[in-house]
Amino acid sequence: MQYVNTWRAVVAATGRADRGAAEDGVRLAYRAAGLTEPERIIWADSPRAAVEVVEKLTEAGRSVREEVRTRPWAEERRRVYDELGPAGWSALWSATGAQLWETTAALAERIRAGVVSELATRPEDESGIRLVLLDAVLGQHDAAWLAAFDGRGDRLTGLAEVARNAGWWWPYEHAVVIVERPEALHRDEAGRLDRGDGPALAYPDGFALYAWRGMPVPAEFLDGLASLTPDRIRAEENAELRRVMLEYYGYDRYLTESGAEPVHRDETGILWRIAMAGDEDVVMVEVVNSTPEPDGTHRTYWLRVPPRTRTAKEGVAWTFGLDGEAYAPVRQT
Amino acid sequence: MYRQGDVLMMALEESEVPAHFLEAPGEPRDGRGRLVLALGEVTGHAHAVRGPGRLLREAGPFGPMLLHLPEGGRVVHEEHAAIALPKGWFRVVRQREYAPGAVRIVAD
Repeated sequence: MQYVNTWRAVVAATGRADRGAAEDGVRLAYRAAGLTEPERIIWADSPRAAVEVVEKLTEAGRSVREEVRTRPWAEERRRVYDELGPAGWSALWSATGAQLWETTAALAERIRAGVVSELATRPEDESGIRLVLLDAVLGQHDAAWLAAFDGRGDRLTGLAEVARNAGWWWPYEHAVVIVERPEALHRDEAGRLDRGDGPALAYPDGFALYAWRGMPVPAEFLDGLASLTPDRIRAEENAELRRVMLEYYGYDRYLTESGAEPVHRDETGILWRIAMAGDEDVVMVEVVNSTPEPDGTHRTYWLRVPPRTRTAKEGVAWTFGLDGEAYAPVRQT
Repeated sequence: MYRQGDVLMMALEESEVPAHFLEAPGEPRDGRGRLVLALGEVTGHAHAVRGPGRLLREAGPFGPMLLHLPEGGRVVHEEHAAIALPKGWFRVVRQREYAPGAVRIVAD
């Protein structure tokens, strides 16, 4: 578990790479793979910039990602699996890598998609860029599987050193292209990219991703959030962007200003419904936090529930995967 | 049934617990010796149990997670009052929220 938290911090690390340490890690990884150390190590300020550098590389030789990263990883996995057995391996993975896997894999995929969309000016360019991205070792974003093997041998020390000190990297026979870490990373409590007033992820050269609670949004969309009105929200035709607008504006404020009426009220909370033209209704339960805030007030919050929900209790029960009748906490805080 | 913020703990009879969980080794504890039921990615605030017990988890965003407390225990969190649980088995469920076309976990 200690390892997971260390690697959780590696995933979230921002700020300048420790280039010396990262380069030492690269050379160690090459030696551990039985390869000659790369002659050139070239730094790039973002994964987008790195793809452009890789595309122009000359005399770099073939990709050695397989030897440097994939094979040692697979062999370590085999070794640990043989040592622990299927149940032991599964327990190790669920206690380590699995805790980081989902959010980190989603982040890496968002970065890939961002690189492709910025570099592919024509649809036919996309597959070429994706192929370059396939050659990348994910550095800090390989944390999930590095966490699983941490403390179990020194075979992956070089890879781990790069991950602790830099971003993505591309290993070729004679050259390595390696990326700085992001300057900024903003995520919500669930680990999703999330920022309402700027890029959620930004690299030093300006490559950036914008997102609201994980949902990709255009940069200019965020600029409009501060001046939202209920009419503007109702007029938005893209249902996902409208949802972001509603969340940003505040369901409570929207409910008040749009004159919505509560649909149902019981001991668990209040059920609200907002009809949306051309889209399913927004149905929410308004619930009150049981634990008081430091000033003695109770925080109210809204949870969106499926449109078929008829009562507040049914809605709250749904948020825990239960039927309305089954939901009956004897104590809650 | 007990609830602390976005985590619900439902008591289970031992006979309801799948056999492979009864003797399975539990999740390791965190650096502070706690069983972590749910961890906030950014604040690091956790719904967690100290004291004797085991947490058993299967892959997947919503669990299932099972908690075994042979002597009962307390679930603590930085922002919620502690919850005392009697001894026995519990299914631990994380709250979720509806989003058209998807379901998202709630992060409190």
